[in-house]
Amino acid sequence: MASVKLTKVKKIYDNNVVAVHDFDLDIHDKEFVVFVGPSGCGKSTTLRMIAGLEDISEGTVEIDGEVVNDLQPKDRGIAMVFQNYALYPHMTVYDNIAFSLRLNKVPEDVVYEKVTKAAGVLGITEYLMRKPRALSGGQRQRVAIGRAMVRDSKVFLMDEPLSNLDAKLRNQMRAEIILLRQKLDTTFIYVTHDQTEAMTLGDRIVIMKDGYIMQVGTPTEVFEMPENLFVAEFIGAPKMNIVKTNLVKEGSQYFVTPFGAKIPVTGEKGKLLAEKNVQSQEILLGVRPEHMVLGSEGQTSIPCKLVVNEMMGSEFHLHADTADGSRLIVRVPTIDLDKEGRSALVGGHDLHVTFEGKAMHFFDPSTEKNLLV
Amino acid sequence: MNQKRHMGLKALNRASNTAIYILLIIISVVWLIPFVFILLQSFRVESTYQVGYVIPHQWGWQNYINLWNSDFKRWYLNTFIIALASAVLVTVIQLCMSYTLSRFRFKLRGPLMRFMLILGMFPGMLTMIILYRVLSDLGLTQANAVPGLILVGVASSGMGYYVSKGFFDTIPKSLDEAARVDGATRFQVLYKIILPLSKPIVIYTILTAFMGPWGDYVFARYVAMGTSAGYNVAVGMYSWLTNDQIARMYTTFCAGGVIVAVPVTILFLCLQKYYVEGVTGGAVKG
Repeated sequence: MASVKLTKVKKIYDNNVVAVHDFDLDIHDKEFVVFVGPSGCGKSTTLRMIAGLEDISEGTVEIDGEVVNDLQPKDRGIAMVFQNYALYPHMTVYDNIAFSLRLNKVPEDVVYEKVTKAAGVLGITEYLMRKPRALSGGQRQRVAIGRAMVRDSKVFLMDEPLSNLDAKLRNQMRAEIILLRQKLDTTFIYVTHDQTEAMTLGDRIVIMKDGYIMQVGTPTEVFEMPENLFVAEFIGAPKMNIVKTNLVKEGSQYFVTPFGAKIPVTGEKGKLLAEKNVQSQEILLGVRPEHMVLGSEGQTSIPCKLVVNEMMGSEFHLHADTADGSRLIVRVPTIDLDKEGRSALVGGHDLHVTFEGKAMHFFDPSTEKNLLV
Repeated sequence: MNQKRHMGLKALNRASNTAIYILLIIISVVWLIPFVFILLQSFRVESTYQVGYVIPHQWGWQNYINLWNSDFKRWYLNTFIIALASAVLVTVIQLCMSYTLSRFRFKLRGPLMRFMLILGMFPGMLTMIILYRVLSDLGLTQANAVPGLILVGVASSGMGYYVSKGFFDTIPKSLDEAARVDGATRFQVLYKIILPLSKPIVIYTILTAFMGPWGDYVFARYVAMGTSAGYNVAVGMYSWLTNDQIARMYTTFCAGGVIVAVPVTILFLCLQKYYVEGVTGGAVKG
């Protein structure tokens, strides 16, 4: 059980490419923090610096108050699960899990006790004498987790552990990681490029891009109040609709005017704009697909033409083009549409889309920062 | 119609297989002739010189007994010591070198590899005179040829890193990293993870390191410089083929040839499976 503190951590490769810029983060004891971002954003590099597998160019990493920059991975009190499992192919599952204990000269009866206990927790007892190649992807990942578990580490590092699994198994393992976390009750740092994993697993999410932290916050915070355009688009699927439009202040009331419509900014968002004394200006307006609704023709709705209708089971994803060719995506729950309504949703069908003030996000077009943060 | 065509294809297949097997059998027989010839000559006791027939008229162990009573024992031991020491040392150095070049990133890594590649393109013969000079200054020629030959064989062994480095490159780095997180030192990673996974390449390295000195002639002869105590089997046995010796020693020479082939044959029979994997492993997996 330990806290992890990163102060101005930087990674500069030999070819002068900076992979991570001034990374500052305080991870509390027993917290589950997820690093998420697109490929090449520096999330794995940061994790590897914490693990000691990558040199830290500048800054410090502290685990439990101790600077570990110059410590070997084995001396940092960490355990790590790798994306490709990294099981030793020539050893049985038992030997794989026991490897670290034996290196530390733990008595064989203790090794046996720990390995069988971990195997029991992970449901792999019957495979203990098998070689990794005789296991399925999910079973291999369990062994990798088991190998990390027996080390009784202060910090549990996971580098995209579910990426190599198929979608169904990934969902199952995700739930198991949540259970495992409850059982182990230790500090977790988890790297993924999958925002669903990040949202479901993390106490806090660190969203990264090009080596910079874009936002740190709880899943609710990053979803409801993204600090910038990148976070707004990265979190949520399908991604947030962004349109360039004007924010107009008339007296104490704000309006947005996308594609000729005039939609009032009601509720909390309107109040926040007034509090920040935001003036009329050009903005990037963001509205999540699930917050857009089909309405009738009128001043508060945007006319558009349906291009593609994706039936996702529980919902439809309607891709519609506005008059100027901008693409909007609207998520409509299947249950909200009767048979007639569904059959009308074919390419070329005219739609009128609207949304409420509380669903709106306002970004500065030049800085791409959220105007309300 | 289809069935007819199927039958036709089958017949064609059988014919081509038969032709291939006949060709292979012929090649095998041609290839085996010298071995069988030498084996048969080694058991011939009616004459010690070359004769115009293959099957001995009188069979016996006399040639092998002659071997035992000659300097052959010394030469054989010399060769065995050189080959064994080279096999051990070359394997250790070459595998460490390969692991280093495969896993570590340091400033001169690229230039070093290129340098060794270019250096390796020059024939070893070019260095013979200067090497002799060095060995001679160190007192490692003639009767002391054995340590001299070991030294020469081992000194440049790191340059033969290509095959094993290629194999190590195919082993995921995350295994090293997982082992390091698990508490292994770099040496333990090599010893407990990489080498067990590289069995074919380790065997291949041992075999080639053993075979080189076992069959060495030119340099071994040069270093021994006519001193029988420093001969290896190839040099020693060649001395039996001189005009004044051949009439007496020809069949003994053949017996020597058989004895020389024994350890290598045993090694290959036992390790053949790994050797083939080693030769092809780097290429296929890389």
